[in-house]
Amino acid sequence: MDFSLTDEQRMLRDSARDFLSTEWPIAELRRMLDASDAADASSELWRKTVDLGWPGLLVPEDYDGLGLGMFDLVVLMEEAGQHLIPGTLHSSGVLAALSLGTLGDGDAKQRYLPQVAEGALKATVGVYDPNSGWTTALLGGSANGAVSKRFVPEAGDADLVLVVHKTSGNDVELAIAHDAEVTNLHSMDVTRPLFQVKCQSKNLERVGSGTLADLQSVLDRAAIALSAEMVGGAARVLAMTVEYVKDRKQFGRAVATFQAVQHKAADMLIEIEKARTAVHYAAAAADEQPEKLGEVASIAKVAANAAFVEASQKGVQLHGGIGFTWEQDLHLYLKRAKACEFTYGDSTWHLDRVAHLLGVS
Amino acid sequence: MTRLQDTAEEAAFRDRLRNWLAENTPTVAKHDVAGLKAWQKKLYEAGWLGLTWPADYGGQGLTFREQAIFNQESARAKVPPSINNIGLMIAGPALIAVASEEQKTRYLRPMLTAEEIWCQGFSEPNAGSDLAALQTRAVSDGDHYVITGQKIWTSNSLIADYIWLLVRTDPDAPRHKGITALVVDMKSPGVTVKPLRQLTGEAEFGEVFFDEVRVPKANRVGAENDGWVIGMKTFTRERANISISLSVRLQQQFDRLLQAVRGRDVPLDAQCARKVAQAYVDSECLTLTCERLADRLFGFESSVVKVAWAEMNQRLQELGLDTLGPDAPLLPGRGFEESAESTATWGTEALAEGGESFEKSWQFGYLRSRANTIEGGTSEILRSVIAERVLGLPRK
Repeated sequence: MDFSLTDEQRMLRDSARDFLSTEWPIAELRRMLDASDAADASSELWRKTVDLGWPGLLVPEDYDGLGLGMFDLVVLMEEAGQHLIPGTLHSSGVLAALSLGTLGDGDAKQRYLPQVAEGALKATVGVYDPNSGWTTALLGGSANGAVSKRFVPEAGDADLVLVVHKTSGNDVELAIAHDAEVTNLHSMDVTRPLFQVKCQSKNLERVGSGTLADLQSVLDRAAIALSAEMVGGAARVLAMTVEYVKDRKQFGRAVATFQAVQHKAADMLIEIEKARTAVHYAAAAADEQPEKLGEVASIAKVAANAAFVEASQKGVQLHGGIGFTWEQDLHLYLKRAKACEFTYGDSTWHLDRVAHLLGVS
Repeated sequence: MTRLQDTAEEAAFRDRLRNWLAENTPTVAKHDVAGLKAWQKKLYEAGWLGLTWPADYGGQGLTFREQAIFNQESARAKVPPSINNIGLMIAGPALIAVASEEQKTRYLRPMLTAEEIWCQGFSEPNAGSDLAALQTRAVSDGDHYVITGQKIWTSNSLIADYIWLLVRTDPDAPRHKGITALVVDMKSPGVTVKPLRQLTGEAEFGEVFFDEVRVPKANRVGAENDGWVIGMKTFTRERANISISLSVRLQQQFDRLLQAVRGRDVPLDAQCARKVAQAYVDSECLTLTCERLADRLFGFESSVVKVAWAEMNQRLQELGLDTLGPDAPLLPGRGFEESAESTATWGTEALAEGGESFEKSWQFGYLRSRANTIEGGTSEILRSVIAERVLGLPRK
């Protein structure tokens, strides 16, 4: 097995790192949250990421994208997660690009994928319905005259809202939800708003179809991409915490010299290294051994959940009182961690799937 | 590029090895020293040992990749245990790194062939985690050192020909600066070994006593009083090697757990099934992390893997034991209780009937795994190593 980055991947990582440090320091994110020109800051960042080609990273070259793979994507997303970038890169460049690419029919791909790749269109997809949760087999249809989707990312700001619902037994349909009723669900992670989308059946425009397995493969790849952001977020929390405990003095010495502090920091690193491995492995398997996709995505998500939630909780703890303040940035990571934990299935959901795959449940 | 598949060379190596193991793997009892030595010699003669060692000393001059494949395939083939593991995993790599040309030529090949078995004398009753507190004295006397003191937790000491030893040569120097590394013949007059019975009932470790043992200065490795640095190199290698080979064994243990669970009459409840799934997630993450961090495992990063492995194996063994329900505390083969003295060592053939089945039980695995977070660096010490050496937190 080879986990090393290619020269191109190293360049992608380094340029993303430079770009984000300059263009999207945490102060920018805070300006977006606090100021009245919030939308401007976010759309300025979006415009620049479009210039770099990021929203089209997964889109095939035939549709004006970069045509890169999942391993390339996770290299980028780990950097993006360090900086808590807003959600459009994921909702449009990952979730919608994968949904259109996998489920979209020829016309829809022709029409929408180039616009997604070029950032001309901000798209998002609703899958989770109140009865199914993230379990695609339980997905509902549109027979009762409407579809209702929860946890639809960035739907408030999207130009194109897609939904996936069941048509019969094993088949799903991808549709554009026109004139949908979009309600903000007020996620604690205000940097990544989540919405409820309700749409009358008559307003659904079918643009693609596939099987439940096709849909699951979209969600699994999206989960791997999200897990990469989570690993990046966890690594950033650890770096902030290391800096803080080296500086902070109590009892006449740096608190970093106390073993109780050191051992928590060590645990953060152990979980992060395990999760980074799981994400890289899952991405490589998604590119090369798609038959393993479900298993590796679940492993990555379980590991990333543990790493990010633990790291941000321990990070707050090791910062002491200052870590509990609004002014300190840690709570932004803590809330991101908690929101990501439940997206595409929490650890219980994924462990149940692994247990099933292992034949022990 | 492909990442998950072997390269053409790796695949050819794996095929050749797998075929060879299928034809040549014997069944040898854990305590059959002669049989285990013969097996190691056979591996050596077929070119499967010392894979990463230089060819000049009997090695194959290959890379970590081939070593990882060897570990995977030998675990899969359920080969007998490695009798000279302390030599192959700890003393040998340390000698390659720091010994003289003459010493390497003298010791490495017989180590590979198992003609000479090695043990390691570092820990002492009052120098465990705080190894620099070691007190075993070496007093200069002409072209010899005269050694007096005691080592403890010495694996393989009852069958070893040589001991890779740290001694104090300068009691007045700062404690890290007065330590020297030596190779000592275990048959030297004044060396005695006592089995150390552990909480499982068996004795895989010994206590080694030195009573004015004369050792030629030619057996010193590196400069006098340079032993601390040499010892530290040994340690990172020990942790890396333990991590790599044990992560493979971990997968075997997980497979065993799976079999135990699937063989039950009553299916697992959801909570327990999730624990098994979590064990699988952790085992996969850890095994793959060893591969991802391979280049850095000979540095302090080995501590990351060692801590995670030790705690993972403890959870896994406990989970295995718990699958037995109320039978969990019952000792299969009545453990080692009936045969307290005679089962105490490697090489005693008088192992009680049932001893073998005890060693294969979850009960034994659970009890033995309690040592995992102590041996090769306690998890407490290693977390401090991670904090200070990997994350750069200050010690004072």
